[in-house]
Amino acid sequence: MTIHQPGRRLMHAVQLKFVHKKVTGHGGRPLAAGLSLTSMIDFLVVTVVFLLMTFSASGEQPINKNVRLPAAENTLDMIDAPIVAITGSAIIVDGNAAGNTRAIEDSKRLQRVDELFNILKGKREVWKQLHPGKDFPGVVVLQIDQEVTAVVVKSVFQTSAFAGYPNVSFMVNGLPKTNR
Amino acid sequence: MGGVDVGGGGGGKRKLDSEINMIPFIDLLMVTISFLLITAVWSHMARINADAQVPGPPREVEPDKVEPEKQLHVEMRTPDKFVLIWKQSGTVISTVDVPRKDNLITKDGKKSIRYPELAQKIEAEWKTVGTHRDGTDKKFDQAILHTDNETAYVYLIGVIDAIYQAHRPYNVGGKSEQVPSFNVTFAVN
Repeated sequence: MTIHQPGRRLMHAVQLKFVHKKVTGHGGRPLAAGLSLTSMIDFLVVTVVFLLMTFSASGEQPINKNVRLPAAENTLDMIDAPIVAITGSAIIVDGNAAGNTRAIEDSKRLQRVDELFNILKGKREVWKQLHPGKDFPGVVVLQIDQEVTAVVVKSVFQTSAFAGYPNVSFMVNGLPKTNR
Repeated sequence: MGGVDVGGGGGGKRKLDSEINMIPFIDLLMVTISFLLITAVWSHMARINADAQVPGPPREVEPDKVEPEKQLHVEMRTPDKFVLIWKQSGTVISTVDVPRKDNLITKDGKKSIRYPELAQKIEAEWKTVGTHRDGTDKKFDQAILHTDNETAYVYLIGVIDAIYQAHRPYNVGGKSEQVPSFNVTFAVN
């Protein structure tokens, strides 16, 4: 068997002539389109760099679907802390009911929310057992619906403080800072 | 195949040329992009801080008596004006009225409200009356928010946001950064 220079191998073994013609363009406009590898890799690398720069390792904070947060400009970054969600009808901690918003609104006076107090106190005790010898940060994040009234906000604020969480943060939608 | 030709390789030495296999390279980029897109966080949540003035645990040694500091009381009890009152141990130092204009903006059901006049007035007041203005000062001026029980939360956030617009330098670890001038808390009554 003589040695000869190899020719084009692609589709030589394929007997379907009409497919070969169609793909290579002999029958008209070719279906196979060329792709510039350099441009494609450039695009992929730029996309990876952009996504890496905007990547957040802290993850997304879970937001109760019944809570519509107001927006604010002078804000801080989110921190990892217990989240208390306050909707128009209920106070919720980790998906469990911890009080009734309507009852506080109807009473029209500031009050301690006992269920919330007990849950937060329990969380504080657990934290202290898990981190012996460390100072408790006392931070709680309140996720409050924009229509909730001030009496509920103040009641939850005060209850959190008395349960050992004096540093209260209000979760908001961050607005871009305007030039001062 | 993509390659990098750095020359060399003559005289029987090992070639310095190297080749990158483009298929796994593109696969890696695709997988990285997919992972980053799936784990991307598009909504940026933030927080506004408030400090409940709760007394700490009792100490064995009673601390020295310190002179009560000036505090800014921000009252939002009427729909037409804010009242800024500087007080020191119950004594009123000054009172300023600021007209209230509720510029409520609703977008996709989410409300936001801004009080730029209030923010400017609070900043100006702090620059003239505020105590803790130096970057080396570790303490902050205190602002106390008074509101009636029926005010909606979105308005409270608007006022707290306005209070936090005043900024001061704060030295941390040898470098100075801008932080809000006030600590905010709620009045019980």
